[in-house]
Amino acid sequence: MLAKYYRSFKNDLDQRGIIFSFSGYMSEGILYSLGAALRQKMALEDTNVGTVKKVFSVFVEQAQNIIRYSADKVGDRTSSELSSGMVTIGTEGGRFFIVCANVVLAVDEPKLRERLECLQKMDKDEIKAYYKEQLREAPEEQSRGATIGLIEIARRASEPIEFDFDRISDETFFFCMKVSI
Amino acid sequence: MENLKIAATERSPEVDFDFEHGALSLRGESYPEDASTVFGPIFSALESFLATVGDREIRIDFDLTYFNSSSAKALMNMFQRLDHAAAAGARIKITWFFAPDDDTMKEFGEDFSEDLEHVAFNLIAIETAA
Repeated sequence: MLAKYYRSFKNDLDQRGIIFSFSGYMSEGILYSLGAALRQKMALEDTNVGTVKKVFSVFVEQAQNIIRYSADKVGDRTSSELSSGMVTIGTEGGRFFIVCANVVLAVDEPKLRERLECLQKMDKDEIKAYYKEQLREAPEEQSRGATIGLIEIARRASEPIEFDFDRISDETFFFCMKVSI
Repeated sequence: MENLKIAATERSPEVDFDFEHGALSLRGESYPEDASTVFGPIFSALESFLATVGDREIRIDFDLTYFNSSSAKALMNMFQRLDHAAAAGARIKITWFFAPDDDTMKEFGEDFSEDLEHVAFNLIAIETAA
């Protein structure tokens, strides 16, 4: 039963074209190791250098957004905090896709939705101009990085980014974003 | 002042600031989650150095193959400081290296150079980029 169960689980992932999927506590060390495996896998398959760079960049920004913004954390912020989330990378229709998911606080949902809707409406040139504008701005309050991470993701994407929120409780949402390259 | 040499790590670039000879370089990749941990010490050394340079000639090479968005902000900040020092008289020559097939790094070089008015900024494609 054990092998049957996990074989079916693995087959389900394979059928969705998933190269790897990580769910759990994300750290800088995990980010580095998964990133190295991802680059190696793409290099072995002779993926175009530009594509490898784009996929890697979106992966890094998504994983770092989970580390920074996931509302599902253990430990304290200064020393040993761990943030929970999910990153999935695969291929479908000849393209790579990268999906990230994490819990966000309901109070943060409107702002995040607004930022992503704004990016969805922009064309490539507008995204590039917006990126350059944000490069010069000081980081926003409460943001350890900046919204520039989301703009970087949109800039590398081949299609407008997809996102969705699923309400978990009065205080939290399950947030999910999909990027195709 | 003392030179600044920091070895590359998995997620941070090699720093080689030879202040004595006015030859500075950053090489490799940069994607720490918190860019200030990597760029903080670089900025403070650079600030102290720029305060003393007067009209000296300074060469600074960037040979980076990948950096995340928070490192991009730190780099922009660094270029603005270099441009201020150049406005004040320092003769600063920045060289931005990129691999010929790396459009992303080429575009970043172009983006960064657009705002700079006082430094000399060269974009150079090299096969042997790290």
